[in-house]
Amino acid sequence: MMVEQTRPGEMIRLAVELRGVTREYGPGQARVRALDGVHLGFPAGSWTAVMGPSGSGKSTLLHCAAGLEKVSGGRVLLLGRDITSAPDGVLTVLRRRTVGFIFQSFNLIGSLSAEQNVALPLRLAGSRVSRKDVRDVLAAVGLGDRLAHRPRELSGGQQQRVAIARAMVTRPEVLFADEPTGALDSTSARTVLGLMRGLVDAGGQTIVMVTHDPAAAASADAVVFLSDGRVVDRLVRPSVGAVADRLARLEG
Amino acid sequence: MLRLSLTTFREHRRLFAGAIVAVALGVALLQSSLLVMAAIADAKIPPGLSGQARERLRDSYAGAATLLGMTVLLAAFLALFIVSSTFAFTVAQRRRQLALLRLAGGSRPQLLGLLLSEALLLGTAGTATGVLAGVPATWAQSWSLVALGFLPGGFSPHLDGGIMLGSACTGLVVALLGVLAAARRAAAVRPLEALRDTGRAARVMTVSRWFFGTSSLAVTVWMVWVGQASEVLGAIVIALGVSVIGAVALSLLSPLAVPLASRLLGPVLRSSTLGELAQANLRDAVRRSASTAAPLIVLVALVLGLTGTLDSLAAMVGEEQRRIVAGDLVADSTGAVAARIAQVPGVAVASVQSTVPISVTGRHRRAGRTYRRTLYSGIVAVDPSSYRRTHRPAPRAGSLDRLHGRTIAVAPGQSEEGWRLGGTVTARVGGQRMRLRIVALLPPTLENGADNFLVPRELIPAAVAARAPAQTVIQVAPGTDPAAVAGRLRAAGVGTVRTPARWADDRAAAEERANMAIFAVLMGLGGLYAAVAVVNAVVIAGAERTAEFAVARVTGLSRSQVVRMALIEASAVTAIGLALGGLVAAGALAGIGAAGVRAVGVPLIAVPWTPLLLLVPGAFLITGATSVWSTLSATRRQPVTLVTARE
Repeated sequence: MMVEQTRPGEMIRLAVELRGVTREYGPGQARVRALDGVHLGFPAGSWTAVMGPSGSGKSTLLHCAAGLEKVSGGRVLLLGRDITSAPDGVLTVLRRRTVGFIFQSFNLIGSLSAEQNVALPLRLAGSRVSRKDVRDVLAAVGLGDRLAHRPRELSGGQQQRVAIARAMVTRPEVLFADEPTGALDSTSARTVLGLMRGLVDAGGQTIVMVTHDPAAAASADAVVFLSDGRVVDRLVRPSVGAVADRLARLEG
Repeated sequence: MLRLSLTTFREHRRLFAGAIVAVALGVALLQSSLLVMAAIADAKIPPGLSGQARERLRDSYAGAATLLGMTVLLAAFLALFIVSSTFAFTVAQRRRQLALLRLAGGSRPQLLGLLLSEALLLGTAGTATGVLAGVPATWAQSWSLVALGFLPGGFSPHLDGGIMLGSACTGLVVALLGVLAAARRAAAVRPLEALRDTGRAARVMTVSRWFFGTSSLAVTVWMVWVGQASEVLGAIVIALGVSVIGAVALSLLSPLAVPLASRLLGPVLRSSTLGELAQANLRDAVRRSASTAAPLIVLVALVLGLTGTLDSLAAMVGEEQRRIVAGDLVADSTGAVAARIAQVPGVAVASVQSTVPISVTGRHRRAGRTYRRTLYSGIVAVDPSSYRRTHRPAPRAGSLDRLHGRTIAVAPGQSEEGWRLGGTVTARVGGQRMRLRIVALLPPTLENGADNFLVPRELIPAAVAARAPAQTVIQVAPGTDPAAVAGRLRAAGVGTVRTPARWADDRAAAEERANMAIFAVLMGLGGLYAAVAVVNAVVIAGAERTAEFAVARVTGLSRSQVVRMALIEASAVTAIGLALGGLVAAGALAGIGAAGVRAVGVPLIAVPWTPLLLLVPGAFLITGATSVWSTLSATRRQPVTLVTARE
């Protein structure tokens, strides 16, 4: 099977780049290698899905790429900048301005309203927050009438849309998504995927998305398949059928 | 950040309620104690009082000030303890939320700031309540000090702006100090933890907890061991130390001790399905059960250990008096009446001891320095020969035979104060000054407030001696029934007549009452704080278990079964806390028992039944009621809405 690697000197601008990244867990004999020398680039302004069987290292790859987890070996570059051993302060600033997160579990602060949740990263960064911007964005994801609702008063799909609205208002250059549609029904999932498409096409943002769902993966520009911590396959402009087929082969 | 902390504060207000109450209590107590102390410092000794009355008043002021000082320290310590344990608990419960903040770009200083602002809000709320509550508390406190006999009637403190401001500042400082450790731990939460459902895997037994817990346990064990071979006074100090340090040790190690103890309860709990579930929860939620048990351990160890120690000492005092006094009857009366006792038929020896209003001034040596001191109390006029026949211990230096003319004997109360045989003191009897030579030194006794000096009867003018209160130790003539003599004495109207055994028991009881008066105040306070801490822990735990309870109900438990399961858990934790606290108290009293064997030949251990009978049902009632209430309120909503909603 062909293993896709980024070649040096390639002209595409990469938003995120992993160079020979290894991540190991556990001590001594019990050591597990979750990522095994992964070379991978995520082109700027595109949407890449990462797929693979359970335990293939998808989530670890996402965490390492986002600087949430330290790598055991290799280097991680975010927008051309080496963040492999960046101190916490640098990573904090990155999380405010440059990267955003969308997760299966919505990651909203339970005590804050939808509006406050959207404005939170900007307020943490100390910027002035225009209420109009925040409301416009919430209106754009169809939650114009849910501004003052707390996360627990919203459905799963609505909560995920608040998370996307937050990514729209801060305009992070790279958005990391972990099973963004995992907890949603198919209608809500379609809405959310449509909104994410808009971020890439209209906003020029980069999305790195881990998913199990071939339908979600088919919304991306490209799909990368992982197995046992290595990149084993790749599809460009995927269809649901092709993705499901590759995945079945991998899991079989 | 302040606005964010306002919303989180409101969101978690139930978590913070206990800490607010603790701060409010602390501030109120600090303020009222300081106000009363200031009033004591300002209090003038009224002119025209006798030396004895002045000394008594000064002693009672000093006693009240000491008690208030201990109250202030205890209040500050407990407020700090509760605030810090509340925050430690909330940080542990809110890890995911804090990690989410980090994920949204919150920096470590910002998280620190968030928790400090929460502490500031909490401190402000608690302090404001405390300053207001402090005003009535001041009146209540000075009233109870008067009622307990520490302060003279008519004593009234006045409000002082400086003290109120100082107490308010202290309240805020306590809240901020209490949150520091927890805030540091919160700042160390990694953003990744927001994504892992096991986010609560934080270690309960931290390194510092291990270190301080095991080292205080080692010190406790060492003290219990040393206590087996020490004198009574040494044993008492050790017992107090064991109570305090042992309580700290077990409360620090409670995350280990509670699951261990719950194994012992296993056979009882496993008899029902709900019990089995409760036991599994106890083992699993170590932090929760430990934070409920810890305040109980501290309370029981302190209350039982301290009151047990002091009551044992009182019992030993009684036993010792019984051994010292060689008589068949003891009569209390005035000097004038006592003079008639010797004439009652059947009385062989009557040793009259009158407490006389004279003063003794002299220089004595202590710790290499000499002091000039005047004493007004505990000066007793005796007839040396009958005193010698009715009191067993011989002087450790000199002889009571020489107690004639211008002489004085140092009694047990001053035995350890560095008076020297052959030295002189100046006595003031009526208007007359005279120099007295020290001719005997009596050995010390365990009694608190024992007689200070013995003077020969002939030194005291008859009119003075007749008015003075007297205690007469009586030996009946051989072959006479003491009860018959007692009857005749009563008929002759010579005051209260008791057997020495009864008299010694009364003396022990009086000593015990004096201990209780002091400890009622301190222990009442400790109990209140422990109740706040326990309720706090149960409420926090219940509030955070909403989802867990919902899952249990979806699995097939009825609401009342969930309530019962939580109640079984709470009761088991209470039993464990009480037992562990009792273990510490037993360790404290073990040394007292051994010392008692050496001092008076019998292991006199007074089990403090009254506090025990108040504590045990009280603890079960409080934890039980709180648990039922918090479980009911956590299961109010339909379980399905909670199981599916995630945040």
